[in-house]
Amino acid sequence: MHKFAHISDCHLGAHRDPVLQKLEFAAFDKALTRCTQEEVDFIVISGDLFHSNIPDMGVVNNAVKKMREVRDKGIPIYVIYGSHDYSPNETSIVDILDSAGLFTKIVKGEIEKDTLKLEFTEDPETKAKLVGISARKTGMEEKYYEILDRETLEKEKGFKIFVFHSALSEFKPDFLATMASVPISYFPKGFDYYAGGHIHKQIEEKLPGYNKIVYPGPLFAGYPRDLEQSACGEKRGFYIVSFDDKVEKVEFIEIPTCEYIFFEYDASNKNSTQAQQELVKRIKELDVAEKVVLLKVKGELSGGKTSDINFSQIRNILTENGALHVNINRFGLSSKEYTSLKVMGEDVREIEGKLLKESIGSVKVSTEALKGEKGVHLATELLNALRQGQKTNENKKDYEDRILEKAFEVLKLREVLK
Amino acid sequence: MEVAGQIVSGKVGEILIRQKSEETIELGDLLVVEAGDHFLILQVFDLRYGSQISPSARELLAGMKLEGFGAGLDFLEPELRNYVIAAVKAVARVSNDGKDVKIPKVLPDFFSSVRHIKKEDLTFLTKPSNPVYLGKVRSGSKTIDVDVYLNALDVFRHHIVVPATTGRGKSNLVKVMLWSMLGQDKFGVLVLDPHDEYYGRHEKGLKDHSKVKDNLLYYSSTPPAGTNTLVVNLRSILPWHFQGIVMFTDAQQDAIKLYYNRFKEDWIENIVRGTPVDGVAPRTLEVLQRKFDTSLGVYLDDAGNLQCRNKVFSDTAGTTTTKDIANALEKGKIVIVDTSRLLDEAELLIGSIVVSQIFHRYQSYKSTAELDTKPIVSVVIEEAPRVLGADVLASAGDNIYSTVAREGRKFKVGLIAITQLTSLIPRPILANMNTKIILGNEMAAERRAIIDSAAQDLSEDDRTIASLDKGEAIVSSNFTKFAVPIQIPLFEKYIETSASKKENEKTVFVG
Repeated sequence: MHKFAHISDCHLGAHRDPVLQKLEFAAFDKALTRCTQEEVDFIVISGDLFHSNIPDMGVVNNAVKKMREVRDKGIPIYVIYGSHDYSPNETSIVDILDSAGLFTKIVKGEIEKDTLKLEFTEDPETKAKLVGISARKTGMEEKYYEILDRETLEKEKGFKIFVFHSALSEFKPDFLATMASVPISYFPKGFDYYAGGHIHKQIEEKLPGYNKIVYPGPLFAGYPRDLEQSACGEKRGFYIVSFDDKVEKVEFIEIPTCEYIFFEYDASNKNSTQAQQELVKRIKELDVAEKVVLLKVKGELSGGKTSDINFSQIRNILTENGALHVNINRFGLSSKEYTSLKVMGEDVREIEGKLLKESIGSVKVSTEALKGEKGVHLATELLNALRQGQKTNENKKDYEDRILEKAFEVLKLREVLK
Repeated sequence: MEVAGQIVSGKVGEILIRQKSEETIELGDLLVVEAGDHFLILQVFDLRYGSQISPSARELLAGMKLEGFGAGLDFLEPELRNYVIAAVKAVARVSNDGKDVKIPKVLPDFFSSVRHIKKEDLTFLTKPSNPVYLGKVRSGSKTIDVDVYLNALDVFRHHIVVPATTGRGKSNLVKVMLWSMLGQDKFGVLVLDPHDEYYGRHEKGLKDHSKVKDNLLYYSSTPPAGTNTLVVNLRSILPWHFQGIVMFTDAQQDAIKLYYNRFKEDWIENIVRGTPVDGVAPRTLEVLQRKFDTSLGVYLDDAGNLQCRNKVFSDTAGTTTTKDIANALEKGKIVIVDTSRLLDEAELLIGSIVVSQIFHRYQSYKSTAELDTKPIVSVVIEEAPRVLGADVLASAGDNIYSTVAREGRKFKVGLIAITQLTSLIPRPILANMNTKIILGNEMAAERRAIIDSAAQDLSEDDRTIASLDKGEAIVSSNFTKFAVPIQIPLFEKYIETSASKKENEKTVFVG
């Protein structure tokens, strides 16, 4: 009997906060340690190992050390790009580590006569055959699926694993309803295991023709929402799969990293002063010591401004009471008196999306690509490109050039400028 | 002018024309009487013989020929003595420049000559801004090279009914209509397809349209590559989605209410799992479990896992399916749901979930004054009496489809109801369906129901409707100047002429 580990969405480098950075790496470290303890034959990482294509070098250094430790124990690691660690115009850290032999990127193939022919990577020890399709930004990998030569892949004999980093329409959770996704009918049928990434939720499913479709979800958290979900009881970890010529057992290995506390406060029908007082009183009653605190404040204030509530004070109280980290989500908070927000949402990205959608109609443009859904998509992409921070040791000029380059790429202006 | 006949007598609604010898006037023919600055379009609804010879003389002559008393016997100048009389009605009064089209209120000049209609007479049939293609104008069995379109923005919210018996080309018509609409984003269309005939899985279909990728979604329990799996999460189904579709007794409805109040979206799962709830008798629970088994195919296996026989309902997958469909409709896309492997109730239930979502969203858009920015949504439902039949509505009460039929126009939601049995649909609903695309129908009672509820006076067209051949139809609508006879093209031929090439974008592979 052989075993492999299926890990996804590690998002190393996602957090700036030192506490969260530490926890993020701790989760990765624990998972790989567990893999060695379990003596898995190989590890599959189905995308978003890193949070960006060129992450902070400190983050890379830690990750490389750990992965090398695993590799030195004779456990190969197979990876694909995720939507975060892929860049269409820059070399990704994934390419560098692949070239260095730390792990093997398993997406190999070429387009012949408008058909994408993929090649299997065979694990030398177990003879398991792996093939995959990396993510591109915002679901652009769908084009690959459209032209994929499924028949050849289906005919291949042996134990086969299909690795992907895309949301599947059939298994999108409700909170990701608007996320770009591909239908599973694009996938070749009859593989023994479909190792998924991108959906930040643990999913283990099957459909006719597709035996085991598995998403482990993030190891720790790529977004504040992940922390919130963890605090609400969502388990984080990875899978260990035992197999011979078929899958024998699929086991979820939980990787607990810290204790969480989730506190939701509804400020509806209270004015800002009442809400502030009550909130302070309520959070003082919480046992937050050594816990990551997720505070969600929502509702419509009957009076005063949302900014009247002193969230810094609230954060300080929680920190003084021993909280490891405090995350305050007040995107669902509004005021009757001062309606500064036109749209409501669960997080920044959702609100941005809604605002763009609402505003796009009022912009008069003649270019099709700037209108409707396409316009919203482009604006979101541009916003994502422009919001990237300056890296350590990156000078201002390089930073500006990098951001400009990314913006040109999103707007497809590079050719025009040339 | 090539004269086809001459008006010889008649009254309003029945003008009699003597057919010119060597000319042929057919049932359903469109004829024209020119009258100075305008002309009248006449339509033939009956044909009969006329003769100047007395009946006894004709019978004697026939007897002599039949019994061999004079093989060479014939009438003297037969073209003068025997002829065909066509009964026609005036359907439109058109100014010569084609800009003014009215319902005729006067008779044409007595003894006027009539001619067959020409393409040039129909310049007033223009292509609207949001066209749905139906076919070409037909005069009798002759096709005139004039395209007939309806403005989808008008007709969709006021509902369309397509009455016809089997084999008269209903599906072909709907395919042609959908093809012509694909790519326009002003209207979303939900097609519940119980025969899996629109997408074209094994033959030509909507999948062959150049704009299919961005504008059409296909859901099936056996999806071809690139299309969507029809899998609906049980949590998407709410008690009121069953309203008027699956019959429950009062006790069962009370039990459902208790389960829903207690378990919210997980109410079906808990019923199927047999979770006891105070106030629900075990017997009622068992009956409900059986009902969900027969209607949804949902049951518990020996290991206690929830299973679905048809794989269309799931307790884990398909969380966003109905939402995705509703979103696509709201973006003006066509969504085809292949329900060929589902039982009637399951098909109607899936439709009910989606239509309810859209209807309620649009009601809310109306209250927030956003409705004008939304596309019209239309629902194609086959065998419409399943949900719109008088007996169904009497026994099971209203359902979302009948609600849409009655109130949909206020909220930009319409129906395209296809039926063989129009007479089963109550008159108030039928009267609300302002466009009827009438195909051939040999059943007199059905023709009567169609005629009685048509937008134009078709009281004399009973024979014409009975004689409609495959692909021939009459479009009677509040939005057409008169009941336009059309020839619907064969879908396969139509797409040859209207197809544009799919754009092949060069893809670069990054590993």
